[in-house]
Amino acid sequence: MIRTSLLLLLLHLAGAMVAQEISFTATVDRNSIAAGEYAKLTVTLSNSRESFQAPDFGGLVVVQGPFENSSFNYVNGRMSSSAARTWVLTGTDPGKFTIGAAKVRIGNGIMQTEPIVIEVTKGTAKPSDASESQGQQRDSNLFATIALSKGKARVGEQVVATYTLYSRYANIELSKYELPKMDGFWAEEIDLGDTNWEDQLRTVNGLQYRVAVLKRQVLFPQRSGTLRIAPIELECIVNRSFFNRGSLVKVRSNVVELNALALPSNRPEGFNGAVGEMGMTVKVDRNTVKANEAIELTVTYTGRGNLKLIEAPQLNFPNDFEAYDPKVTDRINVTGSGMSGSRSFQYLVIPRHEGGFSLDPIVFSYFDTQQGAFRTIHSDDLTIEVTPGDGGPAAQVQRPNKMDVEVLGKDIRYIRTGDLDLEPAGKHLFGSMPWLLGMGTPALAFLLFLGWRKKQAADSADVVGTRRKRADKVARERLNEAEQALRASDRSTFYDALGRALHGYLGDKFAMGPAETAAANIKDRFTAFTNGEELAASYIELLEACDMARYAPVEDRPRQQLYEQAAELIRRTEQTARA
Amino acid sequence: MKTKALLFFLTFAPLWAHAIARIEADSLITKGTRAYAEGDHRTALVYFDSVATTYASASLFYNIGNCHYKLNDVPHAILFYERALRLAPGDADVRANLELARQSVVDRVNELPLFTLGSTWSELRGGRDADQWARRSLWAGLLFFVLLSAAVILRGAWRKILYGFSAIALFGTILSIGFASYRHQEVTSTDAAIIMAPKVDVRSEPSNSSTVLFVLHKGTKVTVLQQSNDWSEVKLSNGNVGWMPPSSLERI
Repeated sequence: MIRTSLLLLLLHLAGAMVAQEISFTATVDRNSIAAGEYAKLTVTLSNSRESFQAPDFGGLVVVQGPFENSSFNYVNGRMSSSAARTWVLTGTDPGKFTIGAAKVRIGNGIMQTEPIVIEVTKGTAKPSDASESQGQQRDSNLFATIALSKGKARVGEQVVATYTLYSRYANIELSKYELPKMDGFWAEEIDLGDTNWEDQLRTVNGLQYRVAVLKRQVLFPQRSGTLRIAPIELECIVNRSFFNRGSLVKVRSNVVELNALALPSNRPEGFNGAVGEMGMTVKVDRNTVKANEAIELTVTYTGRGNLKLIEAPQLNFPNDFEAYDPKVTDRINVTGSGMSGSRSFQYLVIPRHEGGFSLDPIVFSYFDTQQGAFRTIHSDDLTIEVTPGDGGPAAQVQRPNKMDVEVLGKDIRYIRTGDLDLEPAGKHLFGSMPWLLGMGTPALAFLLFLGWRKKQAADSADVVGTRRKRADKVARERLNEAEQALRASDRSTFYDALGRALHGYLGDKFAMGPAETAAANIKDRFTAFTNGEELAASYIELLEACDMARYAPVEDRPRQQLYEQAAELIRRTEQTARA
Repeated sequence: MKTKALLFFLTFAPLWAHAIARIEADSLITKGTRAYAEGDHRTALVYFDSVATTYASASLFYNIGNCHYKLNDVPHAILFYERALRLAPGDADVRANLELARQSVVDRVNELPLFTLGSTWSELRGGRDADQWARRSLWAGLLFFVLLSAAVILRGAWRKILYGFSAIALFGTILSIGFASYRHQEVTSTDAAIIMAPKVDVRSEPSNSSTVLFVLHKGTKVTVLQQSNDWSEVKLSNGNVGWMPPSSLERI
């Protein structure tokens, strides 16, 4: 408080007072008195001539004073002055009395001293200095404190703990010094060098103390919840001198609690406990390399936080890359402001075959304490071009030792993609109607085919029957020939064709040879027909007419009429034969 | 003209519907495959399952089994691998995954080893789908009658040769019908079942008061001998028989 107002003031008076600090303090020689005893209050103003008001004594009685005292120093060309007023106070009733702040107006600002609490106890019993002080109740001449840089922190967030010893004894020796056990923390010592008394006295509740920082630690909470730091315990021998054995004072500091908050549950990929303000750089010493030559891949984490807890990142090197365990290099400073610096992992990688390779980006996630959220850093894609080793591929004749393929893990095989040969569920071809049809149709077709074949065979076995059946058809064909000759007015061909048609027809019909178609034979054959005689006569008459016309240039009727008669006759014969 | 178009449409409407359903199923499978590739096995399972309501194939069941396996549901994975295996007994991928899935089954009931189907004969018999054998029987039958017809027509040496070939075709026909019927029976029977409950007591009688004969755990394969309302009689591959509630098992 004093320091801040002091600073403000200095800013105001920067021009006027060069390098001369104004200080305004109130101190007491003791802050615990028995009723009727005296305590001395001194208010000191340094390096200023202003007059200040007396503080409110808060119920305490002024026995003597104020006494005024001022001094003036000139050291190494530097002036310093101070003015002090001293009161002797006493309390009659037991209780706690607060001496208010003394105020002084300097320039446009007001400086204040800190209030002081005086405890007045009953009777004349003196507070025992050398006796063991219990718990929080502290010996006002010697005590220790533990102070944390913050009372609330995330798991893994760094907190600085300072262990301080306050003493009003002139002569003090630490004989025993027990540090508290750290439960739930990971602690990192801050190197302070030798423990020394600080130059400046510190005023606590009006009493001035010499102060020594015994130890500083950077603490990283490891679990969430209220974490307790056990008190620090000291044993000191005070006031030892050549003539005096001194007395033993046991000191026990306060107990400090830290409220550790759990990290949010949405932990991203690549998070391995890093908390703080971090950064990552990935560096490859060269992107083009010959096969079998080494490259160096360096992953560096920099920042402020629990750097020492960062583990080597999982890198997926392509197969046929030989990678060695990384070399870890720490440049980590542990100071009063916490842990900062860098940790780098250096991988030595040897590609064994040429080709272009790309490494998966390295993912690093940490909890940003400033933002109170996770952040993820992806490195750029790394591409490495591997050229054939010295002497080209031939140099790779040196074969690696053959070894069994190592089974690293077991997993099911991948799913089928593309066409899955889907069939409607519950439908089966076997036994279905299409299947039965498919089986039955060829069988039926075959049976039909067999039947047709059989009939065919039976027909061809009956030669005469076939000839008779075909007689009409053959005759028509021949008559057709005759008709064409008739149209062409080809006389000899017409008679020739017509004669052959009639002879042929009769021959086929009655299974006769060409020579047998004489008039007598014809009559004979036609006897079986109903009007056989008439038909036979017509045939004989027509055949004669044909013969006549063929061999003699006599035509007893027109050719057209002759042709029609022949056709009519064959038609009638067929009709009769079927009847 | 319009009526003609309508008539045409009506005639082929069932075919259209079938084709559209098929396209839809294919797109669902594509989506499922993508989801699986992205590691979202639950979504992939939903897609594959929706296809499986109307379609069946060994590969589809295999994919569903994989999804269940990835979701740590081993009994269902085994169930679907078994279903896939029933449609395609020779499938090496299904066998490999089933083997792996069975490793996390608690019960060791002298399971019949999977890889006994070594001989060509059993591969031939079991390695094909029932429908495939049915199709084969149709072709073989057709070939038989064609060869026989040709033999009837032709004469001399050719006739004898063709008679010989048609006899072979007839043998093939009978064989494939036999296989088709065997596989058909195998595919349509639902005797085998997988235990789905984490733990189930198998009792000597179909009543809750009877003696517990043995305890089965999820993923074990049993054969269902008979089933009444609340009890199934099951048989293990080592011959043990007992009764258990049918709600704890699912038929393959």
